[in-house]
Amino acid sequence: MKLLAFLVRRIFLAIFVLFGLSILIFVIARILPGDPARTALGARAPQWVVDRLREEMHLNAPLHVQYGFWLRDALQGDFGISLVTRRDVADDVREFFPASIELVLLAGLITGAGGIALGTLSARHKDKWVDNVVRVLSYAGVVTPAFVFAILFLLLFGFVLDWLPTIGRLSQDVARPPTVTGLMTIDALLAGQLATFWDALKHLIMPALALAMGSMAQEARITRATMSDNLTKDYIAAERALGIPERMVMGRFLLKPSLIPTVSIFGLDFAANLSNAFLVELIFNWPGLSRYGVNAMLRKDLNAISAVILILGVTFITVNIIVDLVVGALDPRIRLRATRSD
Amino acid sequence: MSKKLISLLILVVLATGLLPAVGVAAPPLQEEGEVYTVQKDDWLSKLADKQYGDVLAYPAIVYYNNLKAAEDSTFAVIENADLIEVGWTIYLPTAEEATAYLGGEVGMAAGEPGSLRVTFSWPTFIDPAVGSDFSSSTSLANIYDTLIFPNKDAGVDPWLAESWDVSDDGLTYTFNLRRGVSFHDGSELLASDVAYSFNRLQTIGEGYAYLISGVESVTAVDDYTVEFKLERPSGLFVPSLVRLYILNEDLVRQNTAAEGPYDEEGDYGKEWLLTHDAGSGPYRVVEFPLEEYLLMEKFNNWWNAATFNPNAPGQARFIATTETATVRALMDDRELEITDQWQTVEALEALDAMEGIDITAFSTMTSFYYMMNTRKPPLDDIHCRRAISWAFDYDQAVALEWPGTQQMVGPAPHTVGGHNPNVLVYERDLDKANEELAQCQYAADIQDYPVEVVWIAEVPAEEKWALLFQANMADIGVPVEVVSQPWLSVVENTSAQDTSSHIVTIYVSTDLPEAGLMIQQRYHSSTANTWQQNEWLLDPELDAEIEDALATVDQGARFAKYATLQEEIVALAPSLFLYDQLEKHAVQSYVDWKPEENSSVMGYQIYAPRIGVTAP
Repeated sequence: MKLLAFLVRRIFLAIFVLFGLSILIFVIARILPGDPARTALGARAPQWVVDRLREEMHLNAPLHVQYGFWLRDALQGDFGISLVTRRDVADDVREFFPASIELVLLAGLITGAGGIALGTLSARHKDKWVDNVVRVLSYAGVVTPAFVFAILFLLLFGFVLDWLPTIGRLSQDVARPPTVTGLMTIDALLAGQLATFWDALKHLIMPALALAMGSMAQEARITRATMSDNLTKDYIAAERALGIPERMVMGRFLLKPSLIPTVSIFGLDFAANLSNAFLVELIFNWPGLSRYGVNAMLRKDLNAISAVILILGVTFITVNIIVDLVVGALDPRIRLRATRSD
Repeated sequence: MSKKLISLLILVVLATGLLPAVGVAAPPLQEEGEVYTVQKDDWLSKLADKQYGDVLAYPAIVYYNNLKAAEDSTFAVIENADLIEVGWTIYLPTAEEATAYLGGEVGMAAGEPGSLRVTFSWPTFIDPAVGSDFSSSTSLANIYDTLIFPNKDAGVDPWLAESWDVSDDGLTYTFNLRRGVSFHDGSELLASDVAYSFNRLQTIGEGYAYLISGVESVTAVDDYTVEFKLERPSGLFVPSLVRLYILNEDLVRQNTAAEGPYDEEGDYGKEWLLTHDAGSGPYRVVEFPLEEYLLMEKFNNWWNAATFNPNAPGQARFIATTETATVRALMDDRELEITDQWQTVEALEALDAMEGIDITAFSTMTSFYYMMNTRKPPLDDIHCRRAISWAFDYDQAVALEWPGTQQMVGPAPHTVGGHNPNVLVYERDLDKANEELAQCQYAADIQDYPVEVVWIAEVPAEEKWALLFQANMADIGVPVEVVSQPWLSVVENTSAQDTSSHIVTIYVSTDLPEAGLMIQQRYHSSTANTWQQNEWLLDPELDAEIEDALATVDQGARFAKYATLQEEIVALAPSLFLYDQLEKHAVQSYVDWKPEENSSVMGYQIYAPRIGVTAP
């Protein structure tokens, strides 16, 4: 019951946040220089065509009226037409969002598994050479932007070693599986096409890894820090004194409480990866939401900008709620505080 | 330990559950197909229709028959889908096989050797009433046919129209259409399709609609005769028809949404044409996932199939990326035949150094201008503008570009018809520059009039020329401020006189090989509030002269007027004419591509039917 109340409260708050976000992005998008209709149609299009498009998009109305139109349509799931692709923004999102989600999910998996494993390893061998190597690599990972990794991997695995395919979601000679979820790997599995699944996975590895490097390094550092902090706690000494095997001490009693900051940061990184994937998506010709969003901004594609930002907003909020639940599961004290404080 | 065992077990179960699926996915070649002897009056699409209920399934017959023929010589080899002989024994695949082939799971449709893959900057619009940029124009040229076809001499050749007549008043054009031209769905292209395509383009008004303006009406006189009535005579009318792509009216109507901004025409098929084609051209659209790639296949029933390069690609794939590292990896893996034209000089040099890759550079109709705002001090004084024109180092500016680049001669690129090669060409001459500067009214306090030079932030290479300009002007004491602005800001600022900078550096291309069109785009008052003109000449006399030249139907007379216009504009010194841009592509050596034998009209260089691709 308490959990339900917590969820309801969070979702209620989220609606307010999204409403505010939509107003903010609506206004900001319209401050960008340039007439979106003219930008979309080019300098040589006759004025009457531009005027017609402006009329269609209600661009001549005052800002609050425009927002009214937008909100009315958006509540019905109609986000208007994109000026970049010339079709419904909703269609675009349906196509590009799953591509990004697939990328970010695998990146998240790599981040979580890799980060926690490296962090634990590091904490366990604190101040030994393993720890030093992991620490140096983590620093390098944190300061290097994802696109640098993308280019490095591309040149290494695609160009020099030629192990992995370089662009797109599938090879040219592989037919697309029927779209169910929009995630190419899952759709391939659902259709029972194992070869297609393998091909899709191969296309996914490089971009996901490039995207995951930074957050993985961050997770490793944080896991290591909290674990080595907790290592000096009395309860660890007590457990060791009781003769509990070291593996159990580390894996069970130490890791769980140490994961709280890791999980919080993981959630933020996960959502941030969705929006930060732009250059990675560009380099691997990945038809994702982030690339779509940046192109929309460069071309002042108002409807697409609003939709993309809203989706990112929803993702951030959802991930945050999930993180709160996971942290609560890890630490009963936090769970109690969260449900009691209202 | 037990947990590990369980997860292992689960994995094994999953894997065995999925394995049989792999067997199913492999292309079956069962013996159930039919052995058939070709009869009189048979043709492949007829057989395909009888066998599979689909006239377009004939490539499946070709594919499976040729597979059979390779192992069993009693079967004839079908080399040309349009040519089968009575008495041949051929193999008709099963319906399942045909479906698998057409679905792209096996065979040519799955991209065997002989595909042409090119990278492009996106987005691409394959709707003839919407697209007009480089990738769109190239796609349209390959998918659609036009009444006339641009040739390499800046003129036009008959194409869908075998011939045409113009009335004495220059207002009525009658085109006689070729008979037996079939659209990609097999139906015949008729005069009514031409009228429909024109009306659609004009009503929608986007893309190249602006080019074919001043047409009062288009009438299909009979199935093979179409008549255009103009509002006023125009020298550009016939050349502009290279942008009237002919659509299959019935097909578009079948796919038109009733709701749309075009009244009884609904959405005019816009949504459907975004990702489908209704053309008759040498290639047809197979698949078009937006923002990823456009996949086309060779249309063997093309009316002009005899002119296909013997090694014309079976498929053409336009890929949506221009990322240097990506392009490089693709070229290295031989997964890309021709690169986009946006690779930097440095990237091209690196590609050139790679085994089996060459660089092709050819002239286009794009030129690089420094547009001087003639309304803004000190540039409102012609002597100051001339001083700047004499002080700039054109040789060095050209040397910063790809080898073979030429300095511009006058205000139009040298590739267009009616270009005047005899105009005054400025060169660096500091004596002349100082002489002119002395006559400029701002000469005494020129230090108080810093000249702002704006280059486009998205094109970092442009900074080189801006810095060169700054250094050159320092030699005559003209202070220069170099500024970069994002493209959208440039577009916004150049739309009003008071926000236009002193100088904006922009590449401008023209859509038809006519000097007059470039002059109109660059110097006519109607374009002063666009990025195409930062000069703000606003000269009614010049406007009238440009309009008169463009309305001259006789080519010789028209070109003579263009020549005069070019001299007059050079005399005004409104711009620095830097160079005519070379379009540069890295190309695999197994590709037989001669862009210089094609028209320089944008989109006709990467014309797949004339390109040969032998397997890498």
